[in-house]
This record gives sequence, structure tokens and C-alpha cells, in this order.
Amino acid sequence: MSKPVILCVDDEAVILESLKAQLRKALGSSYVYEVAQDAEEALDIIDELNEDDVSILLIVSDWLMPGMKGDEFMIRVHQKFPNIVKILLTGQADQKAIDRAYAAANLHKCLFKPWSEKELIETVKSGLEKL
Amino acid sequence: MNDVAFTSDIANILVVDDTLANLQLLVGILTKHGYKVRPAKDGVQALSATQIIPVDLILLDINMPEMDGYEVCTKLKSDPKTRHIPVIFISALNDVLDKVKAFGVGGVDYVTKPFQVEEVLARVETHLALQRLQNNLQLKNTELAQTNQELANTLNRLQATQEELIQSEKMAALGQLIAGIAHEVNTPLGAIRSSVSNISKYLEEIFEDLPRFVDTLSAKEIQLILKIALCSINNKQLFSAKDSRKIKRAVTRELEEMGVPDADTIADTLSDMKISEDIESFLPILTHPDSTRMLEFAYNLSGLQRGTNTIETAVERASKVVFALKSYAHSDQKNELFKTNLIVGIDTILTLYQNSIKHGVEVVQNYAEIPLIYCYPDELNQVWTNLIHNAIQAMDNKGMLTIDVTQERGFAKISITDSGKGIPEEIKDRIFEPFFTTKPPGEGSGLGLDIVRKIVKKHLGEIEVTSVPGKTTFTVYLSMNLQPDSSS
Repeated sequence: MSKPVILCVDDEAVILESLKAQLRKALGSSYVYEVAQDAEEALDIIDELNEDDVSILLIVSDWLMPGMKGDEFMIRVHQKFPNIVKILLTGQADQKAIDRAYAAANLHKCLFKPWSEKELIETVKSGLEKL
Repeated sequence: MNDVAFTSDIANILVVDDTLANLQLLVGILTKHGYKVRPAKDGVQALSATQIIPVDLILLDINMPEMDGYEVCTKLKSDPKTRHIPVIFISALNDVLDKVKAFGVGGVDYVTKPFQVEEVLARVETHLALQRLQNNLQLKNTELAQTNQELANTLNRLQATQEELIQSEKMAALGQLIAGIAHEVNTPLGAIRSSVSNISKYLEEIFEDLPRFVDTLSAKEIQLILKIALCSINNKQLFSAKDSRKIKRAVTRELEEMGVPDADTIADTLSDMKISEDIESFLPILTHPDSTRMLEFAYNLSGLQRGTNTIETAVERASKVVFALKSYAHSDQKNELFKTNLIVGIDTILTLYQNSIKHGVEVVQNYAEIPLIYCYPDELNQVWTNLIHNAIQAMDNKGMLTIDVTQERGFAKISITDSGKGIPEEIKDRIFEPFFTTKPPGEGSGLGLDIVRKIVKKHLGEIEVTSVPGKTTFTVYLSMNLQPDSSS
């Protein structure tokens, strides 16, 4: 049985690298950490993992990315996988988009860049506890 | 219309004569012809009458005892209250009539005695009419002066309003920029903050593991761990997320073939360390019973470098944004011409719009070499901001933005072309009009292009637009011959 996956989505490589390192250190090797640079890539990964029967537990996604924005991405994921815990991590708040994600994608929480390690890890852990 | 300065419709005439017969005669004639007539038998009486009753015309005898007509007239003309009253002198033929003196002291006309009734009436009527016209004219003048003052006030208010609008247009453009810039700055800040917390985690674990490793591992094993860390640090290659996944899968297979337990976790750690080659040489570590901690030690050591690199990249990005902001707010408040590189100005705005651009806009920069020119850089920034912002909006943030810079007949020619849907023919002529906007209320004042055109004119230039669906070009011509002393 494969380890469950935590997926990070951001168009900035520097964010993905440090975010993944942060999660890895805090949550250890009981999870596999995947990263994607835009929503389409993330959706591909989700489909692929789903086909391989690997469960995705949680997604941390940027909002402002080329192509599909974070709220739309979350809504798309939610329609197929309502159980995945969804967290937005954004540098620019578009309140309407955030509200939409809460309403239509059962968003767990929206965090703002620059985030603190404490709030990130607490948010991720509280999300995983919901499962 | 108010055309009367007279107190009533009937003219008031003051007749001054010391000869009672003359006085009665004139009063009789004038009264008969509908005038309101007041008699005065000498200068003193005449002067006091003009102070208390309204007088539109004075018939004044010259030859009078004590105060003659000239003196009365002089007194009347020196008093602001009475100086406007026309004076017609009356003089007996046997008097020495000094016409020059009569006019010199301010008289408007004279009648000689014995007079003809028609002549007197004609002259009286003429001067009353003249007086009436003059009064009207004065009234009109006063009205005009008032209107003029009102217009001047209105103009002042309009100028103040225009200033406010220009200011608010500047603020609106700035507000749009700031939202994007917040993202541009918060992203590197996020990377920096998380890298800092990662680095301190790495150090913590390094100090935890180091004494144990020194005690339990062989020198060879320690060297190999350091080699893995160095191998990671020295690999400067950057992989996309997709490529890393591919590499990770290949490494996992390779590890599995070599019989390494927990291959996928190790492959993930190696891929985070950007190690994909020469894996066989690390086998003694990867197959060691304590392999997880040993590899993690190398991961932590090299992580110090990864974190530092991330911070460096992030700081560079944030500084670039701040630098662009600083150039944007270039302080030429004194409205002075500065010798400036236009291209640097345009690129500054592109940097500030990086956030909107990178998500779907391809930028093509065709810059010819052009010399530095004298211009108002702060105001030109406003021009580029407006045109680039409009272009990106016209394309809905997706498409091609082409910026051409060349020179032509003493002008710097800057064209900004977007691949958006184009400007409808019916509004093409109106886009430069103040307050004309196609944006929803609250999003634009409609002054953007009006201000742009004013700024371009200030540079003795022109702005033109051509638009078909898929290709809209704003072309700005700026004079390359502006000189600091020639500006006014």
C-alpha cells in the first residue's frame, strides 16, 4: 500500500521547494509530497495517482497562477474528490475568490504569504485530523 | 432687461438760472414736454439739490453772481456722486461765451439765449439719450465684470477639480499596481520566511546527529555522507516539477533494482537534493541500517545551501520590484526635464506589471538603440503605465504585447501593440476624450488617455491609434529635441 500524498501547487519554484521541505520536516516520511507548477499539472497528477489507487489527503495551492486560478482548481478538485482537504496559500487576496472557494470547495483555510511555519503546520495538521 | 439707471421713467432736469424769467420759461417748456423739472436760482442751491434729489441732466446758466456756471460745473464734476450728470450750459448771446472753457470744465453742450424751443428740446433729448446709453453701458460693464469674475471662479474650481481628477487617476493606476505588487513581494517573502525556518531546522538536526555519527560511523562513511551533501550542493541544475517527477521515478526503479529498501522515500529525498546520477557510489549509505538518518544528515547539510539559494533568489526578486517602484516614483516634482533612457522607463513599468504579464501575456521587446533624450520621466511613466495597463486589459491578460522603440525624423517613436479584440470603430474617435471610458463605473475615470495625450503634447509629440481585431497599436512620438531652457 502506497503512502498517502500531500500535494503542493504554486507557479513559483522557490515556494514549492521551501514549502515541501517545511512539510517534510514537520510531518515526516509517512506522507509522499508531490508538487505541481499549475492547476492543470496538479489535476493530471491527481488523476494519475487516483488511477494508481494512491490517496491524496491534502492540497496546498497558490491562488494566482497562470491559467486556472486557485479557487477554480479547488472547486474542480472538490467535485471529484470532496474528501481532499484544501488549503489556499496566496500572496494576493481576492476576497471574492476566497469566499467562492470556501463555499463551493469546502476550503479548509486560506493562508497568506508570507506564512509562518507554525500556522502552516497547525493548519495542515488540523486539516488531516478532519479526515 | 434692466436698462434704466434713472430713478423713474421720467427724466429729472435741474435748471439753474439767476434770472427768474429765464428760469420760469425753461421750467415751463420742459415741464410741458413731460420732464420733471427742478429750478435753482443759484449755484449753491443747484449743488445742494444734486445731493438730495435724483438729477439726470442740468441746464446751467454761466453768468451768475457769486458762483458762476463754470465753477458750479467744476464742483459737480469733482464730486463722484454728481460727476456723471451731463451739463448743458446756457449763455446769453451778449455774454462772452467761452466754448472752450465750457467743454474744459466738463460741459457736454451749450445753448445760446435767446434760444429756440426746438433746439433746447433737441439738445436735452439728445443728451438724455446719450446719458441713458452711457448708463446702460456702465450697467452692462458691471454685469460683464461680475460674469467675468464668476467665470474666473468657475475656471479656478475646474482647475482644482481637474487636479483632483488627475491625482485620483494616478492613485487608481497606483492602486491597480499595488495589488499586483503585493503578490510580487509577498511571494519571495514567503519563500524567505519558510527557508529561514527550514535552515534552523536543518541546523538543529545537524547538531543532534553529528556527535552520534562521529562516535558510531567510520571515517569512510562520514566522508561519503559529506560527498552526497557536496554532490547536492554542486548540482546547480534546475528541474521543473514535471522533470523532477520523471527523474524521481527513474531513480526509484534504479534503487529498487539495487535492492535498496524504501526506494521511493529515498528517491524523493535524492530528487529534493537534485541528485540523479552516480547513485551507485552512495550505496553503502543507502543500504546502511541507519540509512534514513544518514541521508537526512546529507539532506540537512545541503539544505543549508538550498535555503540560502532560495533566499538569494527571493531577495533578488523582491529588490527588483522595489527598485522598479523607486524608479516609478522618480521625483521630478519640480517639473524639470531630465536626460533619460526611455527604454529603462518602459522596462520599469513592465517589471511592475510582471504579475499580470507572466500569467499569459507574451512580451516582445523590439528596441532600437536610441540616444538619451530630455523628458519628464515621471509623467512618461504615467503614459507607459496607462498604455501597458490598457493593453493587458484589452487582451484579458492573455495574448501578445509588443513594444517597439525606434526613432523617426527627430522623434522617438514608441509603439505599444496588443493582440486584444480591438477598439470598436464607433468609439475610436472618442477614446482620447476626457471622461470617456468603456470600463465599468468605479474602475476608470476616463481620464487616462486624456492625460496621456496631454503629457505627450508636453513633449511636443503626438499619439496615434490604429486598431483592428487582434491588433491595436498606440504609437507615441516624443520630440528628441526638448532642451531644459526651451521648456516653458
